[in-house]
Amino acid sequence: MGSGRWSHDAYDAAAAYRARTGRDAFDYDAGIRASRRRQDWTAHPDLDPYGVDVRESRDSAEHPESLAVAVLFDVTGSMGYVPRRLQEKLPQLFDLLLDRGYVAHPQLLFGAIGDATCDRVPLQIGQFESDNRMDEQLGRILLEGGGGGQKTESYELAAYFMARHTSIDCWEKRGKRGYLFIIGDELNYPRVYARGANAPVTGYDRGGRRGVAEVIGDRLQDDIDTRDIYAELREMYDTYYILPSGTSYAGDRQVLDHWRGLLGQNVIELDDLDAVSETIALTVGIGEGTIGLDDGLADLRQQGSTAGRSVERALATLAHPAPRDRAASGDRAAPHDRAASGDRVASRDGRGGDRGGRVPVARRSVTRRRDTRGARWV
Amino acid sequence: MDRTLAEARHVIVADLGFGDAGKGTIVDWLTGRVAATARPAARTAAVLRFNGGAQAAHTVVRADGRSHTFAQFGAGTFAGVPTLLTRHALVDPLALAREAAALAALGVPDPLDLISVDRGALITTPLHAAVNRAREAARGGAAHGSCGIGIGETVAYALAHPDLALRAGDTESPARLRRRLLALHDWATTTIHALTATPPQGEWLAGRDIAGPHAGSRGGERLAGRQRAGLPAAAGGAEALPDVEELIRAYRAFARRIRLTGDGEVARLAAAGRLVFEGAQGVLLDEWRGFDPHTTWSTTTFANALELLAEAGVDAGDVCRLGVTRTYATRHGAGPFPSEDPSLAPLLAEPHNGTGRWQGAFRVGHLDLVLLRYAVAVCGGADALAVTHLDTAATAGDRLKVATAWRAGGTRITRLRPGPFTDLTHQRRLTDLALAATPELVAPARSWPALLTDELGVPVAVTSWGPRSGDKHPPTMDFSSTREDRGRVPVP
Repeated sequence: MGSGRWSHDAYDAAAAYRARTGRDAFDYDAGIRASRRRQDWTAHPDLDPYGVDVRESRDSAEHPESLAVAVLFDVTGSMGYVPRRLQEKLPQLFDLLLDRGYVAHPQLLFGAIGDATCDRVPLQIGQFESDNRMDEQLGRILLEGGGGGQKTESYELAAYFMARHTSIDCWEKRGKRGYLFIIGDELNYPRVYARGANAPVTGYDRGGRRGVAEVIGDRLQDDIDTRDIYAELREMYDTYYILPSGTSYAGDRQVLDHWRGLLGQNVIELDDLDAVSETIALTVGIGEGTIGLDDGLADLRQQGSTAGRSVERALATLAHPAPRDRAASGDRAAPHDRAASGDRVASRDGRGGDRGGRVPVARRSVTRRRDTRGARWV
Repeated sequence: MDRTLAEARHVIVADLGFGDAGKGTIVDWLTGRVAATARPAARTAAVLRFNGGAQAAHTVVRADGRSHTFAQFGAGTFAGVPTLLTRHALVDPLALAREAAALAALGVPDPLDLISVDRGALITTPLHAAVNRAREAARGGAAHGSCGIGIGETVAYALAHPDLALRAGDTESPARLRRRLLALHDWATTTIHALTATPPQGEWLAGRDIAGPHAGSRGGERLAGRQRAGLPAAAGGAEALPDVEELIRAYRAFARRIRLTGDGEVARLAAAGRLVFEGAQGVLLDEWRGFDPHTTWSTTTFANALELLAEAGVDAGDVCRLGVTRTYATRHGAGPFPSEDPSLAPLLAEPHNGTGRWQGAFRVGHLDLVLLRYAVAVCGGADALAVTHLDTAATAGDRLKVATAWRAGGTRITRLRPGPFTDLTHQRRLTDLALAATPELVAPARSWPALLTDELGVPVAVTSWGPRSGDKHPPTMDFSSTREDRGRVPVP
């Protein structure tokens, strides 16, 4: 190897390492579509939530202070081209979190949300990974593109899975919540259905609605109110909803209000899909108190990213109050509502309410059900 | 530790000469052969590299004619066996990507999936290579015969700057990666400037630069030893130094794609199946046991592999230490070679080892039992031998002799005494002795395997009659016998 060769080597090596090989390219999706009829479509075994005990984010010698970051995105038809773009964009997220030192030991999980009323594959959930295996999982997500015309998708099933079938050391060992981002454009169903209904509700599949029993395999006594499952979820995860442009309901007031009702101000409108990884990275960085919005935007500019303005707009509501003061005082900046922070502190000692020891999740009874059955839903 | 190849669970393959004995083909045979057997427990879980780096060149020829010279990938790759670069190995991510592309072109599916790297493994960068070439150019006529890719510089830098050395694990942290690459860049700039701008005189390296604060330490000793050998002459031309940002991009991509491992990986692999440790270079080039200064910056004996196995809790009784030798001696590059006989070269076909651009000519000579005995001794013994190039020996016929002893200064020498460990002064005396020695050459009276078994006291477990896996086979006769060769023929 002679002089002058190194730059080609560096460039070629970077390209070679980034190149997706046959096995982990987005070809699970293509392969399934090409080889099977729609009614035979299934999730990749690595992503099938059925019968899964827990997806775990664990500390290790190499990653002593793991931080769980989960990103679930809607893959139904109303999302248009968005899921494919997300599948291409999200692999950057890990680098972004690490590159600027926002998080020392992130562990990322990716998943996909469909519609349990009419989709073959209403939920896909990967594993928390701290290396390139997360890319493989992202590549194995089936972009079913289904969904019905009823402006609701089964986000609540995803929330149920994350609340009851994940176990994360950042929370369990250190009382530090993980991060969960849900990217979608529609509403939750009002309840987490314990089991399916035989009567077809809507949609072209005529398969009828499926519930927790059919999709995840748990036997619940009763349905759970969607607001309750989000309340439960938010004990363990700082949960955000991202409504991207390019989807059917971008900017839709009803959708935004619905999610604000569930997540408070943790609702982000994103007008540039290419900025999704930057938006998530900065949100986590601000949440971790390792970066303020201004510094984060400066980082983006320095990296030559054009996403800055979109991210700035998207995060404008989150960045108040100015997080840097809190970061400077050693406290963790909390862009979410204060009540949740109070919970967190309290639960640090007592390991937080009914989420104490590791109850076998499949048998955990529903204790949080409130009298909301008659309540008007959005 | 007294296990034959068939009984032992794990195998360490080391070259008992100066390199090029055929470790690659033996590893290919071991992995391919076991992959074909029925017992899953005997399957090779991984090939582990325990020394050296991208300068290794282990040529494997497959039955279907495919051929590849393995550098960082283990020679079990064609058999689908994954490779672990342990913390004793050096990794060059840029060259690794090139090699993966070459393997993919040969039909290996997703070669990068077959590589994992210990976080502790040192990274060889183009910065090290640039310093390497500048230093070699400055040495002029006294060039060491380096490979020119910066292996020695990488080890030297790590010894001198243990806290700044770039290791595979650093690619996971962008901040640390940047910091260390910038430090490397500064070091390379300063060093190359010193080498090219001011024509060096005499022992200009002594006490300067990397050796300075560490003289007396293990690193300093090694550095001093190396530097004594090279008297720089004319200054070479400067080359453009790599851009740090470009390297960061490449190394970050490497970190994202390649599985990086930590403690416990060897134990995990050992539990999964057989481990084959593929040595690089040869025992006679060992940094502490070789003929100083014509050595490599690497421990080429079984020591590193045994250390890794011990850490993994593997019973030493489960290990076979397999020494590999040709039926004649070879040497690539400068250094003593008592039994060297250039007139043999036309008889000994050498399709894969030409004259190296940086290393110099490929040299051949007669089998040297004095050196082999020494190699086995400094290895702490071997459990079995693999004898390669029996086909070449058959072709060369009785022109090939055996050096049973040396004559030097009126003394007959049959054994070289291993000195105290890390005593480079002793190694220099051995070098001087070897340079002055004349070999006593005799015609081999027995088959090569029988001769080697008798002379070294180590049984022959594999004989190789050609580059392909099918050319190897375990012997069926009792090699401790002194009877004449039974007229063995190559198995096609």
